[in-house]
Amino acid sequence: MYSILTRGNAILTYTLSVLACLTFLCFLSTLTVDYRTAAQMNTVKVVVKNVPDYGASREKNDLGYLTFDLKTDLSSLFNWNVKQLFLYLTAEYITPSNELNQVVLWDKIILRGENALLDFKNMNIKYYFWDDGNGLKGHNNVTLTLSWNIIPNAGLLPNIPAIGQHSFKFPIEYTQTRV
Amino acid sequence: MEFFKSIPTHIDYVGQAKAEKLYRAIITLFSIVGFVWGYIVQQFSQSVYILGAGFILAAVLTVPPWPMYRRNPLNWQNPRNTEEKPAGKKGKK
Repeated sequence: MYSILTRGNAILTYTLSVLACLTFLCFLSTLTVDYRTAAQMNTVKVVVKNVPDYGASREKNDLGYLTFDLKTDLSSLFNWNVKQLFLYLTAEYITPSNELNQVVLWDKIILRGENALLDFKNMNIKYYFWDDGNGLKGHNNVTLTLSWNIIPNAGLLPNIPAIGQHSFKFPIEYTQTRV
Repeated sequence: MEFFKSIPTHIDYVGQAKAEKLYRAIITLFSIVGFVWGYIVQQFSQSVYILGAGFILAAVLTVPPWPMYRRNPLNWQNPRNTEEKPAGKKGKK
């Protein structure tokens, strides 16, 4: 503390230590927040095709396609330790070859301050719904779930499933035409 | 050059203790206020800005060697007369 440099150093160090403490307290203050909330979703159009999967084996695999409705209010999830939400819509189903298949069909980033009241109608899926075989045709229990990954200022990066899901069936016939 | 050398840059021991207490108090106070305010408005950036304001205030008040940190100078002994010393030693020899 005897010279300008030592005093400047001491003040800067102390400020940064205090900032680290504040950040940790901010994390602790949101540790017990329940980030689950309800979401309603519905499928509008569901088709399945049988086309060559050039991304993988070049064999003909089942490719699902669907449009969906999604309605949820996520504005209650934002607090001072949430920078953004990463939403993703997952299809889960069981096939004889796999006990659990999970395919992400659609995702969306909601930054803090953006509109978090979602009401989508007849949305297209963003990613290909490939099965690794012929497990989609006539499948009678595919479950759509919405989840979100919370990106905080400090702390954990939890993946939270929404309350509410939707089960749908694939048609028993392949669609030949373009959709 | 003589003018710059005449500016006092030191602070005394009591002043050092005072400066340390002062910056700790300022930064701690601003951090508490910033945390509470940030929680109220649910914006952590507000907490960081308020802490930054406390940092600037503490830096202005305690980094420069202000005269208020120089009020307790050490009482040095007066220099002895250097003319007589060698003469005294010579006398003892």
